[in-house]
Amino acid sequence: MSEFSIEMKDIVKSFGSVQAVKNGQFTLKQGEIHSLIGENGAGKSTMMKLLYGLYPIDSGEIRVNGELIKSIDPKKAISMGIGMVHQEFMLVKELTVLENIILGFEPRKGMVIDFDAARKMVQEYIDRYGMDVQLNKKIGQISVGEAQRVEIIKTLCRGANIIILDEPTAVLTPQECTQLFVILKSLRESGKSIIFISHKLNEVMDISDRISVMRQGQYIGTVKKENTSPADLAKMMIGREVFLNIEKTKVNTGKTVLEVKDLWTSGEKEISKIRGVSLDVKAGEIVGIAGIDGNGQSELIEAITGLRAVEKGSVVLDGENITNLSPRKIRGHGMAHIPEDRNTRGLNRGMSIEDNLVADKIDEKPYASHFCLKKDAAHHFAETMAEKFDIRPRNVKALTSALSGGNAQKVVVAREVTSATKLLVASQPTRGVDIGAIESIRSTLQEVKSRNIGVLLVSADLEEILSLSDRIVVMYEGRITGRMRAEEATEENLGLLMMGDVDQAKEE
Amino acid sequence: MKQTFKNSRKILLTMLLALGIGAIFILAIGENPLSAYGALLRGAFDGKLKIGTTLAAFTPLLLTSCAFAVAAQAGAFNVGVEGEVFLGGLVAAYIGINWGFLPKPILLVACFAGAIVIGMLWALIPAILKAYYNISEVCVTILMNSVALYITSYFVNGPMSAGVANAQSLPVLVTLPKILPPSNFNAGIFIAIVVQLLIIFMLKKTTWGYKIHTVGTNPMHAEYIGINPKKVFIHSMMLSGAIGGIAGCIEVLGVHGYFLNNFAVGLGTNGMLAALIVKSNVALAPIMAFFLAVLKSGAMGMQQSTGVPKSIVDTITSVFIIIATMELLFQFKDKKRKNMESGPASPDETIPVTKKDDGKAGASRG
Repeated sequence: MSEFSIEMKDIVKSFGSVQAVKNGQFTLKQGEIHSLIGENGAGKSTMMKLLYGLYPIDSGEIRVNGELIKSIDPKKAISMGIGMVHQEFMLVKELTVLENIILGFEPRKGMVIDFDAARKMVQEYIDRYGMDVQLNKKIGQISVGEAQRVEIIKTLCRGANIIILDEPTAVLTPQECTQLFVILKSLRESGKSIIFISHKLNEVMDISDRISVMRQGQYIGTVKKENTSPADLAKMMIGREVFLNIEKTKVNTGKTVLEVKDLWTSGEKEISKIRGVSLDVKAGEIVGIAGIDGNGQSELIEAITGLRAVEKGSVVLDGENITNLSPRKIRGHGMAHIPEDRNTRGLNRGMSIEDNLVADKIDEKPYASHFCLKKDAAHHFAETMAEKFDIRPRNVKALTSALSGGNAQKVVVAREVTSATKLLVASQPTRGVDIGAIESIRSTLQEVKSRNIGVLLVSADLEEILSLSDRIVVMYEGRITGRMRAEEATEENLGLLMMGDVDQAKEE
Repeated sequence: MKQTFKNSRKILLTMLLALGIGAIFILAIGENPLSAYGALLRGAFDGKLKIGTTLAAFTPLLLTSCAFAVAAQAGAFNVGVEGEVFLGGLVAAYIGINWGFLPKPILLVACFAGAIVIGMLWALIPAILKAYYNISEVCVTILMNSVALYITSYFVNGPMSAGVANAQSLPVLVTLPKILPPSNFNAGIFIAIVVQLLIIFMLKKTTWGYKIHTVGTNPMHAEYIGINPKKVFIHSMMLSGAIGGIAGCIEVLGVHGYFLNNFAVGLGTNGMLAALIVKSNVALAPIMAFFLAVLKSGAMGMQQSTGVPKSIVDTITSVFIIIATMELLFQFKDKKRKNMESGPASPDETIPVTKKDDGKAGASRG
């Protein structure tokens, strides 16, 4: 019997011409929480998907409990006691929590499902690990955190001893994270092993016993938690020192550039998703909107930028009413917008970097004259931008669909930042980009602010809100639940406001 | 440029494959495919008359393929080119017959102008329905083709009938000069080529082309960046209709000299086919249009000099469509696989999108 319950050695996996994992190493001891960290695209998710049998490995070996596994698929993995909680939950919205958990291996009584037995079995796990789950609710009605616990119970019910969690905290509030960690620790107590994939160093330091780092498909090393620090880990992850906590430049606020008054707008499914939001942004300051995804931030931003019809209320940019103007006119008034979804909104993936960089200036000199495109001017501009914002590859004729997330985002940021004259709206500017790009995008936002331009920042990443904003506004279910200066804000009081818990937040 | 070369090679291979499969059918009916194809080529190119006939068939296809491709660049699937050809022809005939008070050159211009206007207006209907009410332009244009056909039928059988046994109008007072008589090849080819070149220039070199391309590839992005996707969609549909109208005008003034009932049947669909095979690449569509024209005009010669029926050409065309769609299918599969692969390689692409917007956000705005 080997010391390790999982051993992955010299793993190689390519997808077409892309080598996702070049030299993957991973071991898991029984009863430990082992974190696998790395930037986006480092191959950590791929490693775990290989272990779970979602793809076959190209070469290398996988041992489970010392036994060499020739080929593996999810069914086999489950039978060997490996369970995986994916980034995107695999739950059926229309079924209840209980039905979802037993789906596929329902206990039967003759021809019918024995719901009593099922409930008893599931309840046992809920009690043992102190999970707060309502079995009779439908998945569509429960929170993301609860859905995640349902996924964990699902793996436990299928007999998992090893649970892989793929970026479990990406969708949670700080409070929900704490709750998850309590559960994970009690799972460890009971002898389960946990693989925790993340790129948030604080969490990793909080929860892990051992930490393995991957970079660009390469295994970098494994360290014990006691012997490392977040700074060391960051260095291992990106291969150099990083400075994410950019020093805030002093606020020198000028006049109000954006004033949103009692704004109402509808969401895709809900009428009046935004109900009476008012806020303002002054020149030379960053106002951060904190909130869990889906609490109306997207709708609010779209209403401000002219992409969504305003039902009631007004949006005033530098003294001019821009309510319900077309996006083009709003841009003309000096507002630029980094959209939350770079692939559908921010970029035209079928076009080159240079075409994307001049997309909003396509009717203006020097990029056009008399309806004819001036490709040389665009090319020249693009080269300057690529250099300034470090867009890689430098070949500005390359299609943006070929870029990595971070570089694609830099194209959007470069275009919008150069176009902003009064206000820059930045929605999730660093979502899904690597740590190097996060660093550069955040310092760019600081630089925009110092040009005496107002910045309205939306981010689901609290740390980002805290480290960049001068003032913070918290949104919950389409309303503003709190406003404060950055100095007064902590992860705790923001977290409570993000869950709509106004009273408790006040007490603290 | 490299892409264009690669595409051309692909088209060539597709052509050869289609001809190869056609050869199997010819063998199956006990004929020699080589002599059949030889007869087909002779039927298309042997002598002035035959070359003229081939080029006469090529002219409208050049325009209709271009018309379809322009709309497709903006993301519109305009099946309605045929209707636009019919109505363009009808209006050109009406003006050409009745506005004799105009001097000849101006009458000629008037015919084209009328055809262009009616083509644009006819295309405007499905374009508005799609842009503002999200009604599929495919369905609407298919149905409107029948409407257009019956409108013209009514006119040449009734008010505009020449009173002869055939359903046709009186001759027009102004015609396009014929080249290579007695074939139907006429000066319209120059108009078609100029239109084609203008469209290529517009798409590649102007801001209008940039906007059409943006809307065709990502309307959500277009809206965000300040290009009105509805407006661009409608404009490119109208441009497509205008080109269809020109094709109709050339057919009436150049080929027939009068409006002949059902004259445009197949012109729209064949043009669409030519454009579809090259994925609406305006620069390559002419090659396909020419290939189809050769098949069409050579078929009769083949039937006369060998035992191979003319309909074998339709078979080849159909096989062509199948191969072309299969290629699209392969690409689609390829894309899907790539997407799946890029999933783990760059997980940021797989981050769940919390908000779905079908681009209708601005629709309700006044």
